[in-house]
Formats: sequence, C-alpha cells, structure tokens
Amino acid sequence: MTRVHRRDAIALFAVLCFAATSREAAAQNALESGRLEISGGAAWLGAQTFGSANATETTPSGGAFSLFTTSSELGGAAAFDARVGVRIAGTLVVEADATYARPELRVAIANDVESGPSITAVERLQQYMIGGGATWYVPGRSRIVPFVTGGGGYLRQLHDRALLVETGTYYQVGGGVLYLLSSHQDKRLKATGVRGDVRAVIFNDGAAFDGGRHAAPAVAGSFFVRF
Amino acid sequence: MTRRWFGRAIAIATLLAMQAQPAFAYLEFGVTAGGNQVKLRWPQGTVRYMVTNAGVSNVTVADFQAAIGRAFASWEAVPTASITYQFGGLTAALPGRDDGLTTLGFQNRPDLDRVLAATNFVVDAATGALVESDIFFNSAFPWSVAASGDPNRFDLESIALHEIGHLSGLGHSALGETELRAGGGRVVTASEAVMFPIAYAVGSIAGRTLKADDIAGISDLYPTGDATSVYGSLSGRVTKNGAPIFGAHVIAFDPAARTIVGSFTLNAQGQFSIGALPPGPRILRVEPLDDAEIDSFFDTSRTVDIDFRVAFSDRIVIVPRGGDSGEVTIAVVAK
Repeated sequence: MTRVHRRDAIALFAVLCFAATSREAAAQNALESGRLEISGGAAWLGAQTFGSANATETTPSGGAFSLFTTSSELGGAAAFDARVGVRIAGTLVVEADATYARPELRVAIANDVESGPSITAVERLQQYMIGGGATWYVPGRSRIVPFVTGGGGYLRQLHDRALLVETGTYYQVGGGVLYLLSSHQDKRLKATGVRGDVRAVIFNDGAAFDGGRHAAPAVAGSFFVRF
Repeated sequence: MTRRWFGRAIAIATLLAMQAQPAFAYLEFGVTAGGNQVKLRWPQGTVRYMVTNAGVSNVTVADFQAAIGRAFASWEAVPTASITYQFGGLTAALPGRDDGLTTLGFQNRPDLDRVLAATNFVVDAATGALVESDIFFNSAFPWSVAASGDPNRFDLESIALHEIGHLSGLGHSALGETELRAGGGRVVTASEAVMFPIAYAVGSIAGRTLKADDIAGISDLYPTGDATSVYGSLSGRVTKNGAPIFGAHVIAFDPAARTIVGSFTLNAQGQFSIGALPPGPRILRVEPLDDAEIDSFFDTSRTVDIDFRVAFSDRIVIVPRGGDSGEVTIAVVAK
C-alpha cells in the first residue's frame, strides 16, 4: 500500500470527493437535463388466468349436465418493449410505449363425459400494447436512481393468422431502478443507461373469455438514451 | 320428420327423398332439384300457416293456437335469422293434405305409438323450394299447455318448437345424451338443441327455449342482410387411420359464451362445416353418433362410422368475422 503524507492524503481525499460529487452531480443533472428519452428492451409478461367454463347440456328439469370442463389461461411470454419519453418538469417524464409479445392461449380440457382424453388446446396470439404513462425519478445524487411509473393504453390481440382481432385496454403501475452508464452535460447525447422495472398490469377484455379484468406481473429491462 | 317419444319413429312420407346437406349442417335438409343438391328452405321471407280448428282433452283450440304462436314467435325472435311467420287463421283442413296450405293440427294416430308429432313437406321439384309443410300432433298422447308444465303430459309448446324447426328446413341435431330403456327406446338425460330427435319426458318444459345450435341453424338457412360480414364459420375433416369418416358428430364449444353447436362429417372426404357462428375461439370435440338412432339423422343407405373414441382438436380453432377458420383436421382412433 502506498504511504502518503497527511497533507497529500487530504488533497487526494478532496480530489476523490470532488470526483464523486461531480459524478453524482452529473447523475442529478442527467436526470434533469435533456428532454427526450428513448429506450428499448425486453420484458416478461406473466400469465393471466381466465377461469373455467364447462360445456353443458340441459337436463329435463332445466339443470346442467357437463360434457367436459375447460380452464383457460394466457401463458407468460417474452416481449419487446420500446418507449419514448419527454421530460416535462424536474425528473418527471411522460412516455409513450409499445410492447409486442406472442403469448400462448391455452385451454385445458378434462372430465369428458365419454372418457375423452384430457388435453390442452393451444393457440399463439400476437399481442400489441400501445399506450402511455408517466415516470418519476426520485431526485438524488447516485448513479442508481429509483423510479415509479404508471400508465395504460390500448390492447390488441390477433388470433391465428390474424383471423380475428380482440381489443381491450390495460393499466399498469410499478417501479424500478435506473443506472446511469454515462452522462455528458455538454453534448447532444445527455445520458445513457439501463433501467429495470417490475409492474402489475391489469388487462381488460381482449382475448379473455370472460371479458373481465385480469392481472399479470411484468418485469422489464431496457437500455435508454437521453437527448 | 318425426319427433320421437322414444324408440324407432315411423317416417312420414315426403314428396322428395331428402338427405343431409353436405356443405352445411346442424343438420339442414338437402333435396335434389333439377339435378342439383339444394338446401330445403322457404323461398319467401314470411311463412303463412293455418291451425286446424280442433282441440283435444286439456287443450282447447285457443290454447293450441296460442302455444303454436309462442313457438313460432321463438323462432322468429332469433335476431340473426330473417324468417318470419304469419297466422293465417283457423281451418277445418287437417294436416298432411296436399292442399297448398301449411297446416298445424291434432290427429289421432294411436298406431304411431312412439311419434308425438311429425312434419311433412311439399317441395317444388324444379327448384327445391318449400311449397307447403304440415305438422300433426298425435292426440293419442296427453298434451299440456300449462305454463309450468304438467307432470303427466307432454308440453305442446316444446314439441311445436321442434316441429317448426323442421317446417323451416332444419333437420335433427345430435346434441343430446340418452340412456337405453329396458323396454326398448331411449330416454333423454340431457340435450342442448331443440332439434334433438328425442323429446324430453312428460312434464318437462326445458324444450321451450332455443339453444345456440338451433339459432345457428336457422340463421344459416335464413341469414339476415349483414350475416355474412358479421358471422363466420369453421370447417375441417375427421380421419381415422388417415382415412376420412362419415357421420362423425363434431361439437364446437365457445368458451366465452359457454355454448355448443354441433355438426357432422357429411361427405366422402370426412368434411364438416358449421356456419352462422359468432366470431371467437372454439374447442372442437368429435364423438361417435351413439345417442340416437342413426336414421334420425341420415338416410339408411349411408354407413355411419361409430367405432372410434372421443377426440379433441389440439388447437383452439378461430371463427373469424365474415370468413372461415380454414380446414382443421382431427384424427380419431378406433375403440
């Protein structure tokens, strides 16, 4: 270990402190400078359970006679995620976002009255989520910046070969952290970084058989640039 | 066509031999006219009918006319079908006469001891269009028009609803479950189509309500103006050991609406088609035709394969808006 004089040590500490302070200040400045933020990345959308529906016939007394039972879900799927944000004040950014995924719609069939096989019928959807929201970065001086985010938008799900289009809406809230990789106050490119977030997504209608609301978790990671 | 109490029915003569229409089903009737196979249907939008001026025990003429009217109204209320019916008045004429009048009435036929009612047709041999169709209700059986049914009598409105389906051009549906009776014939344990060939037992009024299968059938025969752009169809084929099979019963289950509609493979290629369906995903199930007599559905000259196990399509089939699903192949295996 290098031995240094006390006076030199104080000077080195001061330099290190200045360097750290200037990086934190740069982080702070990066979040509060530039207006346009563009990010792209990957996400995982969790499964949605659509519940059960039985195929029934009517008995002479008006009751239900079950032919077979089904339970349905929209499976979890990887997704591509892109967003464009505009800083409107302080560390508050309003965003437009688009997500594309190909989740699998699954219907598990069981309890056939004539001992038919229990199988799962499947179909892969094309799913688009196009919407907007707002993200607020917690002001601070670290390169690691927590944030909260929320928004909603339009849900479009295309069945087999786009034979049928189902539409709906979605809402989401969540939070995460942003890590600044670089910041350049004096350049056109103000900052680069990565961000990861966890969201709770509420879907309305769409391919859901019951037409109701269904919640699913989502995790996402993206690379962003700010101008 | 006959509405059976149980067991074998006695066919009522029709002027043209009928067979299942190969392109569409629920079943619909097809007739050969001018060398072409055409659907049996009324060419005009409104069918005018007469009611025989004779009641039976427990059912006055007014009761009879009212019950018949409710049954016609049920078919007419299907929003996706364009056919309408008009009461033309009471008549002394009996059903079953080739008199140019579509007549519904009672007749005492104790010889037809398993036939509650039957429908016959007069068809234009050149065009295949319906000209006249009569329905007789067998007064040898006890009838009721009580709002909540009568435990010892058959519900007239339920049986009329079924026969008016025939009068309109619909054949039988196989959406039903039966058990064999010790003394012969079958008893219905459940059904999901008014057009199932075997009636519910005495006392039941469950047959007064049209089901999705009936609605799809009448809508396919008499589509409303926007039907072709709003509704869709699904089609496919059923094979066993790679070879097509005839007469397999195909059920399409809509998990969103929780309804079922049935059809059959109706040609040598083992193909089936179901039209007039609301768009959406369907689960397809194939079963052998073993809950009613084969001749309730097909000409006895056809060989129907019932030696296979129930099978499901492993893909969710999509009924598009204004189009067809594209062919779905379902392979079954022998029992």
